[in-house]
Amino acid sequence: MEELYTLIGSAVAVALMVAVAAWARIARPSPALDEVAARAMLAAEFPDHAPTRLWIAADGGGVIARDGVRALVLFRLGDSWVSRALAWDDAVKAPVRAGKVRLRLRDPAAPVAALAVSGVNPWPPQDEEAVAP
Amino acid sequence: MTLDPLVAPFNPVTLAIPVFVVTILAEIVLGRMRKARANYEARDTATSLVMGLGSTIAGGFTAALVVGTTVWIWQNHRLFDIPMTAWWAWVAIFFAEDLTYYWFHRLSHERRFWWASHVNHHSSQHYNLATALRQTWTGGVNGSWLLWLPLAFLGFPPAMIAVQKGVSLVYQYWIHTEAIHRMPRWFEAVFNTPSHHRVHHARNPRYLDSNYAGILIIWDRMFGTYIPEDDKEPPRYGLVHNLGDFNILRVAFHEWIGIGKDLAGSRSIREVFGYLFGRPGWSPDGSRETSASLKARWQAREAAKAVEPDRIAAE
Repeated sequence: MEELYTLIGSAVAVALMVAVAAWARIARPSPALDEVAARAMLAAEFPDHAPTRLWIAADGGGVIARDGVRALVLFRLGDSWVSRALAWDDAVKAPVRAGKVRLRLRDPAAPVAALAVSGVNPWPPQDEEAVAP
Repeated sequence: MTLDPLVAPFNPVTLAIPVFVVTILAEIVLGRMRKARANYEARDTATSLVMGLGSTIAGGFTAALVVGTTVWIWQNHRLFDIPMTAWWAWVAIFFAEDLTYYWFHRLSHERRFWWASHVNHHSSQHYNLATALRQTWTGGVNGSWLLWLPLAFLGFPPAMIAVQKGVSLVYQYWIHTEAIHRMPRWFEAVFNTPSHHRVHHARNPRYLDSNYAGILIIWDRMFGTYIPEDDKEPPRYGLVHNLGDFNILRVAFHEWIGIGKDLAGSRSIREVFGYLFGRPGWSPDGSRETSASLKARWQAREAAKAVEPDRIAAE
């Protein structure tokens, strides 16, 4: 019985701590990506790659960069970022649903990356040469 | 004074729960007031704390097996009678348990079967006191607890082992913070500290697979796994390939699912063994990244950077 009380008390404490964390608003700043910021993050995440042109999500919450036959992907999670690489051909074929391009990453740790698409910033890029190396 | 060798007189972790709550709240408030370096993201915090809560529940399912085996070894096969009331016995178990923890922790990073349980602790991209509580749900089923059985075999009573394991876990709580830059030099030389453990949680290639210490950093210094924190290269926390969402089941089980998929596609016993017990990232054709390959590429880049100014000067 004592263990049950401890568990219930811990659950209440968890709720309190999460609420205080939300109230405090001390997440790291993660502003929308522009080309300079995206390139800096790509350089940190993919130091052995050198993408030339980038496609940046409509809300700045991610970037897809082409490096030869590879697509280098970065997308925001909370106040942090997640990176993966996939075949460029697979990235180009990714469907757009509900305003987001949904890239299948074939990884149990991150199955899908969803990046915002807009009319002026369609996916795949209308002129694929724009993101070609 | 007599102590029951089979029943721990107290559980350090249970006793520390109020301390956990108060210090996490304090770290958040100090971060909010800009009095301490601390970043909290609510969903990340929730994930860490629910993992901690779930860990205590999951541990209950295997507790009988772990305790029963430890008691059986101690009652039937111990080499010595080590009294719980002797001061030297507590000193001895402090060092023996901490050495056991070092090897458990190293195994948990360097072999995929055990990494699958431990990976969740490293899955936050934050480093704060809540991250300390992001504990495994599958530690009881991967058999790593067997590593502590030699202590019972030597003659340390199960209650002593349980208390010292709890002490170690509680010690390791406070080092999960960015609020403390460095402890005094003598302390940094002997004990595991926030600085040492930040390196352990870093995903920068130069910091991978280092600082496995529980309480004493001396084991890393002895066994060649110690890397100091370099203020010129701040740690970037999380996994080499970070999780794509905050799904709690993904946090707990993603590496096990990855192992299952790899085993399903295996074509030989060698591949089965490699996927299970190779280093995380092992693959038959070497196409995936391991800590060793990431470090090698980082070293090559550093070497190229060092050569570049000389080349330019020569030109």
